[in-house]
Amino acid sequence: MGLNYYHILKRVRDARKLVIRGTTSAGSGHPGGSFSMAEIMGCLYHKFLRYDPKNPLWQDRDRLVLSKGHASPGLFSNLAVAGYFDKSEIETLRKFGSRLQGHPDFKCPGVEFCGGSLGLGLSFSIGMALAAKMDTKNHHIYTIIGDGESDEGQVWEAAMAGSKFKLDNLTVFLDRNFIQQDDYTERVMPLDEELVGDDISEMWKNAARWKVGDKWRSFGWNVLEIDGHRIEQIVKAINSALQTKGTPSIIVARTIKGKSVEHMEDNPKWHGVAPNPKISPIIELEIDCQFLIAPSIIAGDMANLENEIKRTIHGRADFIHLDVMDGQFVPNKTFDHEKIKQLRPITHIPFDTHLMINEPVKHVRDYVNAGSDIVTVHAEVCDESSFGEIHDILRSNNVSLGLAINPETELPFWAEKFIPDLDQLIIMSVIPGKSGQKYIESTHEKTQRISKFLTEKNFQGLIEADGGVDLTNVESCFLDGARVFVGGSAIIGQKDVRFTITEFRKRLMHARRTLLINKAHDLGGTELVTRWIDLHEMGKKKTELLQIAKEAGFI
Amino acid sequence: MTEFADMRTVYGDTLIKIGEENLDIVVVGADTTDSLKTKQFGKKFPNRFFNVGIAEGNLITIAAGLANEGKIPFASTYAAFLPGRCVDQIRNAIAYPTRNGKNGLNVKMVVSHGGLTVGADGGSHQQIEDIAIMRAIPNIRVLIPADTVAVEKLTRLISQTYGPFYMRMARSKTPIIHLQEQEFQIGKGIVLQDGSDCTIAACGITVQMALDASNALKQEGISCRVIDMFSIKPIDYDLLEKAARETGGIVTCEEHNIMAGLGSAISEVVSERYPVPMRRIGARDQFGESARDSEIPLLLEKHGMTSIHISNAVKDIRSKKQ
Repeated sequence: MGLNYYHILKRVRDARKLVIRGTTSAGSGHPGGSFSMAEIMGCLYHKFLRYDPKNPLWQDRDRLVLSKGHASPGLFSNLAVAGYFDKSEIETLRKFGSRLQGHPDFKCPGVEFCGGSLGLGLSFSIGMALAAKMDTKNHHIYTIIGDGESDEGQVWEAAMAGSKFKLDNLTVFLDRNFIQQDDYTERVMPLDEELVGDDISEMWKNAARWKVGDKWRSFGWNVLEIDGHRIEQIVKAINSALQTKGTPSIIVARTIKGKSVEHMEDNPKWHGVAPNPKISPIIELEIDCQFLIAPSIIAGDMANLENEIKRTIHGRADFIHLDVMDGQFVPNKTFDHEKIKQLRPITHIPFDTHLMINEPVKHVRDYVNAGSDIVTVHAEVCDESSFGEIHDILRSNNVSLGLAINPETELPFWAEKFIPDLDQLIIMSVIPGKSGQKYIESTHEKTQRISKFLTEKNFQGLIEADGGVDLTNVESCFLDGARVFVGGSAIIGQKDVRFTITEFRKRLMHARRTLLINKAHDLGGTELVTRWIDLHEMGKKKTELLQIAKEAGFI
Repeated sequence: MTEFADMRTVYGDTLIKIGEENLDIVVVGADTTDSLKTKQFGKKFPNRFFNVGIAEGNLITIAAGLANEGKIPFASTYAAFLPGRCVDQIRNAIAYPTRNGKNGLNVKMVVSHGGLTVGADGGSHQQIEDIAIMRAIPNIRVLIPADTVAVEKLTRLISQTYGPFYMRMARSKTPIIHLQEQEFQIGKGIVLQDGSDCTIAACGITVQMALDASNALKQEGISCRVIDMFSIKPIDYDLLEKAARETGGIVTCEEHNIMAGLGSAISEVVSERYPVPMRRIGARDQFGESARDSEIPLLLEKHGMTSIHISNAVKDIRSKKQ
């Protein structure tokens, strides 16, 4: 079984956009805390929770208690995406007569706890979990608490009770975003260690400071500590919690308040402020423009791929791109599913398996079973029927669906019907078969054209740029419309993979900022550009944005 | 000779009886289960009994979670800590959540040690604000039984009636006032003595004082109607209006601050329906203090809460009427 990576990713993105739509329409609300828990909610609603939107009170459903109730837009948006109600209803958020109250409320189907007053949700969940135990029910209770919320003494009353009653049917997420209403948590009421200086990065850069996990451990809980924006880590932690017996689990998820929207990220101001309607379209575009880095390990030491995997993990890559070559579809041969199976236990990072092989339909199951999370097959060796079959196999195994086209290939006509369902389209920018080739310049124009076409055809996935992508061209690839970037020799071939990936991200960030400034200019000229840039209060963002705007002649 | 009985013992015994009949009934306690006499329930039904320690907020909210799943939790501790400490939890976790036309979650908050007669523990433990707190919260119904007959019948009744309830018992043994066959209906007062000159409406331990006052006044040729207003919310509008019309004056008695308690509730009704002169007997916006059991009459005397005070209030009303 795969992670169902894209399935979750797309829904997280849709939910984030709904949060913006809802809070913008309401003129108030809490986007910051909705975004810090967005991936957690996405994994719960679109992978783990058992529920029936048509029968919200189905007895055997899993329960999700959002204790940090002010993040209700983050809950409502997921309920809308899950099908409890029409997405357009999000625009009634916080309005008179709406089912979508300022804080979660039973008025809204799918809501399990009327949150708002902080510190109550965990106790409530304990009541639910006790009842489930009494009735020998198998459903699970998930609770999301905030770090600011953890100031409430009742959280710790509940922590003692959860442990006393051995509630292994309860899993708590601590959305550790380090920000509460007034200020950073470590200034208001430290959960880890008091923050004395002005450098807020102190709070997360040194793991020796982190104490909150120990607090919960000392209360007798099973504690798991993860990056709360990485889908594979969330999934792994939940699976581990579900297998833990005799004690409740808490997943301490380090997150970023306002995640995905640069001006909101880590800025306490965005705890409880809605975006301005003029700014919202720019924010929505920003949410659409998240990017992923997928190093291709065949560019490294083929004799020690295990080590290459470790380098990508250390480099904080998003995917690991696995180029499978059979010596027939392409002249070279790399490895097959057996190798992938060997590599799988090393990491939970998604395996982005790119099958450069003949007759992929015959082999795709092997690659699913080997532990791929995304499988991409080539259009040149598929037709409607075989691709349909591949589609079905992947879907039923929670593996994301990719299609690849060679430089001389256009998107085939038969592929069009699959576009809305396609997770990933790889546009090759070198002749596949070996590493280290130069990017074919005409791919820029091709990607732009296909990207536009895909948007018209309701494509929900991402375009992956593969072949000769390096620091010099990654920005243009982004502006063409690509969002996933495979790096072979440009990443794995480098001495310091982590540094290189950071450089890639900087370039991509620059490209995204350029794109967003252009969008702002299109929508509202210099005035909107300035206004949007002014929102970027944290760090050096503003200076850098002003530079881009100046170069573009907008200010 | 008046017979006295202990409310908590009857409460604990009744829980076991109804717990045998209804498997959804669960009991949640906060380190006072011995005192509240709910411990026996835990012995009998260990899987349906949860002691959360000295954590009243947790007590209330866990009870809410249990109720959310179809259980009927009885959450019990002392009055000073339950409404006194947990207004937020009661409001947001129990009273507010409403789905499918069911208002609030099905939690029964039953407390002991209400009012001044807590005695020796002192003013910190003498809860005289609970009626005010609880009746101001939508969806919560408030009951103050006068004796063990009422405790038994009401415990059973609230277990069978959907919704959040608050029921307050006294610490000390109380005189038995009602006949065993007395029927209790939520929202209905019980006329204990009929009379035409004035009405005395009381709740809890003050019902006996009202009866004593009425008996004393009878000697002086004053005929009082005595009502046990055990159901403070909902309150019996019709009975009170009738009493106002027929007796022309009302004295209210409660072991509670006269602000926002039973007296206030009754004056709200009377002033809207049929205004007549009223007097309120109760703590006059002052905290209590320690008093050993033998000194409790002194404490009540200090706060103007005796049958003599009630008699005087009746006479005062009559003088205003004439």
